[in-house]
Amino acid sequence: MIDTLKKTSLEFFHKQGYPNKKLENWKFTSSKNFKKFSKKEISDISIANISTDETTLLFINGKLCLNTFKNFRYRDNIEINELANIEEKAILTFSDTFMNDAMFNLGMSEFDGGHYIKFKKQMNVEDPIKIVNLFQNDTSDRRIVSFNIFHFEEGSQISIIEKDINEGAPSFNLKMNKFICDNASNLNFAKYVEGKSDCHLLSYSYYKVRKDVCINMDSMNKDAIFSKEFIEIDLNNTGSDAKVNILNLVKDEQHLDNNILINHNAEHCTSFQHVRNILDNKSSAVFNGKVIVAEGAQQTDSNQSNKNLLLSLNSTAFSNPQLEIYADDVSCGHGSTTGALDENSIFYLRARGIDQSSAQKMLIKAFAKEVIDEFSLSSVQDISEIALDRWIDG
Amino acid sequence: MIKIENLKASIDDKDILKGINLDIPAGEVHVIMGRNGSGKSTLANVIAGNETYEVDGGNITMEDTDITEMSIENRALEGIFLCFQYPVAIPGVSMAYFLRSALNAHRKYQGKEEMDALEFLNKAKAILSELGLDDSFLKRSINDGFSGGEKKKSEILQLLTIDPKLAVLDETDSGLDVDALRTVAKGVNKFKNENNSVLIITHYQRLLDYIKPDVVHLMIDGQIVKTGDMSLVEKVEKDGYSWLEK
Repeated sequence: MIDTLKKTSLEFFHKQGYPNKKLENWKFTSSKNFKKFSKKEISDISIANISTDETTLLFINGKLCLNTFKNFRYRDNIEINELANIEEKAILTFSDTFMNDAMFNLGMSEFDGGHYIKFKKQMNVEDPIKIVNLFQNDTSDRRIVSFNIFHFEEGSQISIIEKDINEGAPSFNLKMNKFICDNASNLNFAKYVEGKSDCHLLSYSYYKVRKDVCINMDSMNKDAIFSKEFIEIDLNNTGSDAKVNILNLVKDEQHLDNNILINHNAEHCTSFQHVRNILDNKSSAVFNGKVIVAEGAQQTDSNQSNKNLLLSLNSTAFSNPQLEIYADDVSCGHGSTTGALDENSIFYLRARGIDQSSAQKMLIKAFAKEVIDEFSLSSVQDISEIALDRWIDG
Repeated sequence: MIKIENLKASIDDKDILKGINLDIPAGEVHVIMGRNGSGKSTLANVIAGNETYEVDGGNITMEDTDITEMSIENRALEGIFLCFQYPVAIPGVSMAYFLRSALNAHRKYQGKEEMDALEFLNKAKAILSELGLDDSFLKRSINDGFSGGEKKKSEILQLLTIDPKLAVLDETDSGLDVDALRTVAKGVNKFKNENNSVLIITHYQRLLDYIKPDVVHLMIDGQIVKTGDMSLVEKVEKDGYSWLEK
């Protein structure tokens, strides 16, 4: 099964080539940055500098580290299989959007050694599980591809905090993850990127959501040089709720691109997208957000918000919130704003004796705080606030 | 307390203030009345240092210190407090954080130690109680989702917390119901003493029923054309401003 998938994916990529700007999802992000990278064999891997504890799942260049997994506190509640052993096509395949994307197909043709990780029925984790993605590279222009599937069985309640660590020469990390959320599961998935890195990141996350599921997807990106992220959530059964909250702090010549698609395919589901970008210097950010409400997905409640704060005249934000509604009894809203710090607000604060620099910082923090407050895990809120302070002072 | 001499100011090359002279000694309450567009709010903003306006001449002296060229925040730290006609809403910054930051900026400027959170809360809660506001007011974002009355009470809360030398009330009475008006007036009366001054900019007599002014000025076309006592307010209420142009 895997071999067939890889073969057809490679054929697709060769036929399509690297994405160009005529494609809606690639309009504001050039794929030419990826071209210099290629797949290369990796020699020695060292995890000497990586600290893990019994709540950490360590992935090295996309592959689960089975040595550290032996110490994982919840190993008895998790079932692990190599993707190479999965025969069921439904588990391995993604949405049409991803399957029709050339870069995704390139990833599918090249991944090696991914895992299918199943969190068992009713598994309830008090402390968040930490996923550490260590990308270690000893040569230039290497493309590192990873593919893993996370399956949350019925009634499981899991919180995950994911962090990427890049070591060695700059690489192009192409990550593909699939999340299967069974009935009544509850997933808080938070990730943050912090730490100077010259790596390029392209990630595809696909959430297949069944009945009465609650998902919170929170993300804070601070130091990514070049990052493009696709998130697609299929709400396939009734009563599910999906929230995506993203804060991007972008400066210098960094470029961040968020593509989010939420498909409301069933009645009585809610979704919320909240993406805030703070841009300084010559940085740029893209928001491509889309909600599709299918025919018959009545009583859908969906909201989409993108706000961009430009701290420099040379920074750029592209915002494209979209709604496609094919049902007639729904509540859907979307909005986008882009602007500089409000001069009247600065005057108001300064008129109370607060100096200009402090007033500006206060307003930047206030802008970010509105999305940080939506993050589902308090520890991620704390991490984000500290990272924000560093970013503002940096 | 504050002395303004031949003050001229413009916005977008349009002259608004055309030679204002005003002297408010400590312990006095002055009122400026005038038609819409006469320059009252411009004067309040220029005193506070709003950089939207260009000062084209004259000077402003605060207790012998020339503040004409001073930054907005330094004027505030020197003791000027503008009660905004339209207070700005700032989502994401709590009233408590904002007020404590402002108060401690003043204390630092005065060479005093910063006030700790507990001491600040006790001070703020006492003022809130006097204004008939709930303690939860401090947790709310600055003026965000506030009613018109709450916004003006928020200004008075800030006034009483910071305790400046000069309070400039820019149409603080506009849009208030009787109860809110009384609360605002009560706050201002609590603030004023022999060591500070109040400048009230208003269109109406009703606030002056609660705060008795010492001097009343009437402003027309960027200039103070008449100065007197409370009888001027009664005359304006009765006859408007056209008699001043004859």
